[in-house]
Amino acid sequence: MASSPEGEARKIIVDSLHGDIHLREREWRILDTAAFQRLRRIKQLQMGQVTYPNATHTRFAHSLGTLAIMASILELFPTKGPRKIGKRQRENLRMAALLHDIGHYPYSHLMEGIDKVALTEEIVGDVRTRSFDAARSPYPDHVKVGQEIVTRHRDLIDAIGGRKRAKQVADLFSRSRAADPQLSKLLHSSFDMDRVDYLQRDSRAAGVPYGDIDVNYLLNSLRISEKRMVGVAEKALPAAEQYLFARFFMYKAVYYHKTTFGIEEACRQLLRRIRDVNLFKMPRDGEAVLGLVRSPDLASFTDDYVDRLVQRASKEGDEVMQALARCIEKRRPPKLLHEVQVLKKAENQAFNRGTVFFSTAKRSLKALAEKHGIPLGQFLLCYTKPLKLEPRGAFVRAEQARGLEPEEEDELIKVFTGDDPEPKSLVEIEHSLMYVCASYQWQAFRLYVVYEGPDKKEVVDRLRSEVRNWAECK
Amino acid sequence: MERRQIGLKLVLDQLDLPVRVKTFEDRLILQKAVYLAQAAGVHLGYYFRWYLHGPYCPSVAEDGFCIATELAQEVDDSKGWSLDAASAEKAKGIRGLVTCDDRAALAKRLELLASVHFLIDRKQVPGQSPEKIAAVLQRFGKDFNADDIRRALGELRNHGILP
Repeated sequence: MASSPEGEARKIIVDSLHGDIHLREREWRILDTAAFQRLRRIKQLQMGQVTYPNATHTRFAHSLGTLAIMASILELFPTKGPRKIGKRQRENLRMAALLHDIGHYPYSHLMEGIDKVALTEEIVGDVRTRSFDAARSPYPDHVKVGQEIVTRHRDLIDAIGGRKRAKQVADLFSRSRAADPQLSKLLHSSFDMDRVDYLQRDSRAAGVPYGDIDVNYLLNSLRISEKRMVGVAEKALPAAEQYLFARFFMYKAVYYHKTTFGIEEACRQLLRRIRDVNLFKMPRDGEAVLGLVRSPDLASFTDDYVDRLVQRASKEGDEVMQALARCIEKRRPPKLLHEVQVLKKAENQAFNRGTVFFSTAKRSLKALAEKHGIPLGQFLLCYTKPLKLEPRGAFVRAEQARGLEPEEEDELIKVFTGDDPEPKSLVEIEHSLMYVCASYQWQAFRLYVVYEGPDKKEVVDRLRSEVRNWAECK
Repeated sequence: MERRQIGLKLVLDQLDLPVRVKTFEDRLILQKAVYLAQAAGVHLGYYFRWYLHGPYCPSVAEDGFCIATELAQEVDDSKGWSLDAASAEKAKGIRGLVTCDDRAALAKRLELLASVHFLIDRKQVPGQSPEKIAAVLQRFGKDFNADDIRRALGELRNHGILP
């Protein structure tokens, strides 16, 4: 599939997924800025290449792919009438698609999420003295960072067409604009171009078939309602369902792969430890991150930035930091001691084998660590985010979907059925698989150890045997 | 509960706001209370975007559902944790804004307060003009007039959320 020229195309870039992508003058100038070129040095799949060696593609390629899909979708909108999107809005939407990931941190979501990470000693044992520090501003998400970059860097502002327009574009991808939510919804809804691109791109780069979707059929089946709701025609229901299953399987097989997830968790915990004790000039809080990305130092805020922190921690950090850093540096992924996978309805999530395993680990891990003489921080007790087939579906029963307000429906795929002029949510269609499956969610609870002693195999085997029954304990 | 969910529960406790997510009104109160707590300087790390009912964050909705599900099954991982003293004070300081027996009236008031703050904070309106803010909100079919906005601005300033 190639992006539409839609007039005024000046340059063509060949993409391995979408073919020819036609770029306009402004888009080409955006590509030429240091802030955008930075994306060439941020891998799309974080540390996915430790498991899938070819998964080294970048946010740069993904951003171009998102533009290509936006161009295809814009062709659906008329240039006249109530559903029209005018020329300037089209240009802004194209630029917003191109720039939607400009704020990504080194290793993408990995560094961004360190404030959500719980260190093992915070969750294990006696928590009566634990304090949640909400006085320190957490690292802002990449959308907020992107907004700062787009509205602060002079060359980018000039490329976009001035300060006012840069703000309009940033407002679109950050959905700050209190004017036309349906427009920015194109970038953010469940069937958004971001996901359409990354599922296919990640799947092909990793060399697995799970993310392949019938993108042309889906795009050709898109319709726009009078209220400018975007949905697919009912005949494309299987393609829409398969798209959701593709997302589900990509998470299970690639994004949450036990090896990748383990080494990424080691890195998350390492970065939080470095940040918490103000080592190596790592930004101490959200304000410091914003200060960094506003400065010319932004250009070096890439995967290399984290690699350098890891290198320094492996030599200058404390015992736990050194162990975590070396496992990342030398690609010695943490060893998985035990995993419990759970597939249940969302409303039944509180008690299951996974939570029992986790509770037992909280009570018993400290003693286990002491018994084996391994620092507690070298055990990584963690779980994946609950994975749902429809992102909001797990909490939204079909009978509730009609009562949702627009913002709550954001991530539910819409389908045009019968003569109804407005689309309904996929979870409302009784013959859809999502009607049954959307309320289910999958989650994996995992315990890893980082240990590199000469008796590694014996120690890991003993630990595995000792935690094997933790999911069965009362 | 994840670490941030523990933080959210602790803040809601300080606000004296039970975790209720059954109706849209409940969820709107949750959204706007969290928004205002962050605006008051309690950093939970939620990023809000604009929608038809003002600032909205899908992660707050998701975390609210998760916490409510666990509490319904008598699981509360926030037990034993405490909020840092400065944040606890800030949260207590806006408790008056999120307290009202009439849930419908509370939802409407919080929607107004959060929307007004968002529009000013994200520079979606020039200055703090009540008329211009009212005009934006009317585009979304809201029946807030300039006097409502003036009162909201006063409340936000009184609670130190706006300069």
